[in-house]
Amino acid sequence: METTTPTAALTLDGLAKTFRTRTDGHVHAVRGVDLEIRPGEVVALLGPNGAGKTTALDMVLGLTTPTEGRVTIFGRPPRSAVAAGRISAVLQSGGLLRDLSVRETVQMVASVFEAPRPVEEVLDRAGLTRLGARKVAKCSGGEQQRLRFALALLPDPDLLVLDEPTAGMDVSARRDFWDTMQSDADAGRTVVFATHYLEEADSFAQRIVLMAGGRIVADGSTAEIRARASGRTVSADVPAVGQEAMADRLRRLPGVVEVMRQGSRFIVRSSDSDAVARTLLVDLGGTNVEIVTGSLESAFLAITGELEESVA
Amino acid sequence: MNATFVLLELRRVLRDYVSMFFIAVLPGFFYVIFGAATSFSGEGAGNGNVAMYVMISMAAYGAVTATTGIGGMAAVERMQGWGRQLGLTPLRDGSYVAMKAAVALMIATIPVTLIYVLGLLTKAEGTATAWALSALLVLVGAGVFAIYGLAVGLAFRSEAAVSAASGLLVIMAFLGNIFIPLSGTLLTIAKFTPLYGYVALARYPLTEGVQPDGSHEPLWIAVVNVTVWAAIFGVAATVLVRRGRERQ
Repeated sequence: METTTPTAALTLDGLAKTFRTRTDGHVHAVRGVDLEIRPGEVVALLGPNGAGKTTALDMVLGLTTPTEGRVTIFGRPPRSAVAAGRISAVLQSGGLLRDLSVRETVQMVASVFEAPRPVEEVLDRAGLTRLGARKVAKCSGGEQQRLRFALALLPDPDLLVLDEPTAGMDVSARRDFWDTMQSDADAGRTVVFATHYLEEADSFAQRIVLMAGGRIVADGSTAEIRARASGRTVSADVPAVGQEAMADRLRRLPGVVEVMRQGSRFIVRSSDSDAVARTLLVDLGGTNVEIVTGSLESAFLAITGELEESVA
Repeated sequence: MNATFVLLELRRVLRDYVSMFFIAVLPGFFYVIFGAATSFSGEGAGNGNVAMYVMISMAAYGAVTATTGIGGMAAVERMQGWGRQLGLTPLRDGSYVAMKAAVALMIATIPVTLIYVLGLLTKAEGTATAWALSALLVLVGAGVFAIYGLAVGLAFRSEAAVSAASGLLVIMAFLGNIFIPLSGTLLTIAKFTPLYGYVALARYPLTEGVQPDGSHEPLWIAVVNVTVWAAIFGVAATVLVRRGRERQ
């Protein structure tokens, strides 16, 4: 079906999933998620454990049926998109037969697709050519993950989903994995990956979708997300007397979010760091002034923290 | 049906030498010890002799060991995440089950062939019909125990449970009148156990219902036993598959 407007790679429409559990009744893993991802985007789905990332991705892949809402992949429902090879995924864990070799695993999965990429080609792209004869049981966690990546490449999908692909890998294995991924994404594939490593989201994605408590709490470029951290942090040593009054005075300044004391040092978070620095230096006799830009980490904590406050 | 997939699955099982020992070598050895090597092996039994009676019994034991293991491992593999991996492909559940069943049947052919060849080379004798029909019944009936393995795998979700299910077959085989001819109360109990009907049915082309003690047992006892146990395993597997889905 050709239309004048390009079809979205992925559309989530009021997506929700509720699990019944024996102990506490209903668990709302995903609570109404709307999202549109355009072809060619590399999107990080970021959030703490239990944010609903894996459940959301399971629904995208048609492995779980939504309680409410709809998933559309290049205009198709999930199962049909999977069967047509438009979408594929690297799953978090499990999912391999330990007594097969790496090459046999790829051959087996390739055999169920109608027109898969050649086995040797995907082995090469996943950096596994030399490990072809090795038993899956003898592969390291990183090697097994690259094997899952090779399997995901078999249908040559337009949309590739990665659910915490580097969980349990050491630093160098993680770097290797992302190097492999990067060259693949450069070729124009749409990639959506879930992670709770901020650095991964920051260095690999163009867009970050932040999830917490089953909802999307922020969605934007990495720069935009970082800017949502409440400005900068200003810290300085202050004289020992009259600290209560000083703290009050700082709190009254426009843009100040938080004033903390660590011994004789004040730490102030504010959107107007200049005003805070001026007050500390000129009016309060502060010394050793330091101004730090908000990190993605603090943005993450600020946004998810706000959410928790608003819920409580 | 997909040749590459089936071939790779077959290769996996054949490479597992420990399993293959219990599936093929051990029942073959049992045939030689309890069948060919005994003094009464040449004595007549229905449409053949005692050696053939033992041969069919041991082939049946080997075949169910094969199908139980393959059925059980299929369930465990799927729940340990392989099912999710296959869920990312166009492969349908029905095709997967059909391919696994084909693999189980092919592996079950190995002990049957081996033991029947041993029988040919030693003292087993019987009519051509008895040879052919008993082999067929051994293979087809072994399918029931693939469902048994599947149900155990679904219920306990571990490789150890599947091994235990295969181990339990030894007890079932004793109670099923496979290893030694039972009599009295034990024989009455035996008629209610899962392997009894299957092996009695497989031996029927040879015995036509005549028991080792000379009494006659009508065919319906074996048929009812197999039908009831197939239904029990089938219902258990269906319930367990459903329970597994709800948990996701």
